[in-house]
Amino acid sequence: MDSLYLLIPVALVLVALGIKLLLWAIDNGQYEDLDKEAWRILAEDRDGTSKKNDSQEISDD
Amino acid sequence: MPTGVQLEIDISGEARSMCCPGCLAVAGMIASNGLENFYRQRSAYSERPVEPEQIDTDKFLIYDQPELAENFSQQETSGDVTARLLLGGITCAACTWLIEQSLSRINGVEQVAVNLQQARLDIRFDPKRIRLSEIFARVEALGYRAQPFQTSARKEQLRNEYRADLRRLGVAGFGMMQVGMFAVALHAGDIQGIEQQYQGLLRGFSLLVSSFIVYYSAGIFFRTAWRHLQRGALVMDLPVALAIGLAWLASAWATFTSTGQVYFDSVVMFTFFLLLGRFLEARVRQRHAMTWFDAENTLPDAVRVQRSNGWVTIARSQLTQGDVAIVQAGQTIPADARVCRGESAVREDTFNGEHLPRSVTGGDTVYAGTVNVEAALQVEVQGSYADSRLAALQRSVEVAETEKPQLAKMADRIASWFVAGVLLITSATALVWWQIAPEQALWVSLSVLVISCPCALALATPAALTSAASALRAAGVIVRGENALETLSRTTHLLFDKTGTLTQGTLAIHNVQLLSKHSEFEVLQLCAGLQYWSNHPVGGAFATVENAAHFTNVDYRVGAGLEGDCGGQSYRMGSEQFCRQVCSDLPPLPEAPFYWVALCQGNTPIAWVGLSDQLRAEAPRVIAQARDGGLQVGLLTGDSSPQGPLLARELGIENVHVGLEPQQKMLKVQQLQSEHAVVAMVGDGLNDAPVLSLADSSFAVAGATDLARTQADFVLVGGNLAAVTETWKKAIACRRIILQNFAWALGYNLSAIPLAASGHVPPWAAAIGMSISSLLVVANSLRLNRHKPNFKERHG
Repeated sequence: MDSLYLLIPVALVLVALGIKLLLWAIDNGQYEDLDKEAWRILAEDRDGTSKKNDSQEISDD
Repeated sequence: MPTGVQLEIDISGEARSMCCPGCLAVAGMIASNGLENFYRQRSAYSERPVEPEQIDTDKFLIYDQPELAENFSQQETSGDVTARLLLGGITCAACTWLIEQSLSRINGVEQVAVNLQQARLDIRFDPKRIRLSEIFARVEALGYRAQPFQTSARKEQLRNEYRADLRRLGVAGFGMMQVGMFAVALHAGDIQGIEQQYQGLLRGFSLLVSSFIVYYSAGIFFRTAWRHLQRGALVMDLPVALAIGLAWLASAWATFTSTGQVYFDSVVMFTFFLLLGRFLEARVRQRHAMTWFDAENTLPDAVRVQRSNGWVTIARSQLTQGDVAIVQAGQTIPADARVCRGESAVREDTFNGEHLPRSVTGGDTVYAGTVNVEAALQVEVQGSYADSRLAALQRSVEVAETEKPQLAKMADRIASWFVAGVLLITSATALVWWQIAPEQALWVSLSVLVISCPCALALATPAALTSAASALRAAGVIVRGENALETLSRTTHLLFDKTGTLTQGTLAIHNVQLLSKHSEFEVLQLCAGLQYWSNHPVGGAFATVENAAHFTNVDYRVGAGLEGDCGGQSYRMGSEQFCRQVCSDLPPLPEAPFYWVALCQGNTPIAWVGLSDQLRAEAPRVIAQARDGGLQVGLLTGDSSPQGPLLARELGIENVHVGLEPQQKMLKVQQLQSEHAVVAMVGDGLNDAPVLSLADSSFAVAGATDLARTQADFVLVGGNLAAVTETWKKAIACRRIILQNFAWALGYNLSAIPLAASGHVPPWAAAIGMSISSLLVVANSLRLNRHKPNFKERHG
């Protein structure tokens, strides 16, 4: 049970990290437009239009 | 629009026909860039793009001027420039995807992000490789309108509030999970027995985390309660702040003295659920407030004016009185002005809702925001935007908005009484328990405070509204007005505008009176052949006829008609006066109330063609449904022709008012409102904007100008009138759900308070009860969004 003295502070540090990440994401504007984000996941891979294709076309330009 | 020209393009291996060269170009670009996904993912159709020849890339060159660019762009330290553009015509997430994908492929563009809610494009680019004007042109080529995004202080403030709410909520969520974990251990310890040192440890850490949550997330309750208390007002935040503060203090005391009970978990859970309710409510409200347009935005940014060194392009803001500007056919007139050279016609649907243009010639006044239809005009600017008729119209919209009958929100009305009641009951409970068992007094009073928390009460309305709004959104109706659904459910009068609302707003062939041996088919082919050369809206009526007659030497007379040769014969088509000049045998104008144009071959009359505005197919059903539902249906139109009453008879509308100026429409609505009628108005066009904002609730049909859209509480994106009655039914369902929610929340509070006051509910149970009550309210509200699967079953 003595491990609690170590594990609880470790958990708190992880929570602090999580909060920091969340605040960073909010300030970065990642939650500004929730409607679009729901779509974005569908947009990329649906027809094999992957990142690889995109980068090729950019180099063609 | 040319007819008989095949516009087809291959998309995903299938030939699709296109309506205009603009669409063809866009579709071609989309398909050839492998962006076909746009066509699969779009949930609404985009507005029709302008034809490529009308995209004037020169007009964007002014944005390269530093003094104009600095209003909406800024130089980063890395040398890149970030700019914000307001996009017109974005309808769904697929549009944002298309814009992001195609812009990010341009050489020199570093980063692109489109915000759908604000219709805003954020772009970062290298100014050495691409100029701002090119970006504008690329957006326009995709079929969207781009203009500089003006940040207003209010928009910034809304964004900051949203972020602050989200931060508080997120932090409270993390805290709730941690403290909840400790609480499970502590409760288990209560049952199984726990060593003093571990209990102290868990309580200590709970205190640490919950103190942070109370400070960071719940701080706003204390501040609001205090701010209102200073002004002598009781708000819902007061009992909330008291409950949180007292529970935290008492638990902290218990931790330090190692006695009694701690309720840190109740404190953070309470905070989290309250914040969640507030956040949801704020999101509903912000969605409505996010986008509103300025009429000024519909005006062109660049204007060609005469200077001593010839014609130059300047920004519209630099126009001064007396400048001579040139307005090409198809362009919007940038300022109130007097025509000094040229002859044309201007479409003034902005002001009168009519789609037939008014002929103008030297000396006539033209207004900012109207569209020059036929030929180029040189105009002398009369004054600044603030003095223009368009600005006056916008101001009357704003005035109408403030005169709209305001509904005090139900929650606000009862809030202060409720709070006073809660405080009284709590104090009474505390006093009584102090007499019976002083050591219990604090916990029992806390339970009363927590259980009487108006959380479910506060959620009752916003949860139902959000749910109904998202169901409507899926059906092509965007809900903007905050209280619109509640008001709509109580509607007694449903008023329609005519042109563009009940009708399609475009002319169509309605009647052909043959005057010679030509068949109707031949007549129509001749008309289509001639009208191919015309810009006038009349030309659009013949676009569906195949253009097989090939005319040469076509002469276009502004405000009169067309003249041309075909098969060795000379033809004239146009107004009665114009045709009578060469063809004196032309019989008099037929009596039926159509827009008549004559066709003559040399001096022989061939036909009268009657054009009229087509009724929307779904209009009769909508009006029948509204009448069956017990609504009074009326028609308010600016059109003074006999068409209005005719249409009303056809549809069975009894209340008809024709030839109304926007001001008179507003008077009619106000008159009804003074007789305690609740008025819903359906309209389109800027001329309807004041009356739309005055009506208790309002609908705008898509294709309507941006301003009218945003003034309306509901926007019918699909342009389908049937959505009016659908929305009305949904509003009634929504009201029913709200009443159920209120009944539940109040019933729960009223029955739970005596239980808590008699000491039967510990604070943790009170906190759980409150959460379950809120969840029930949310679940009940979600029923509004439910019937969609049935729809699919029927069709699948």
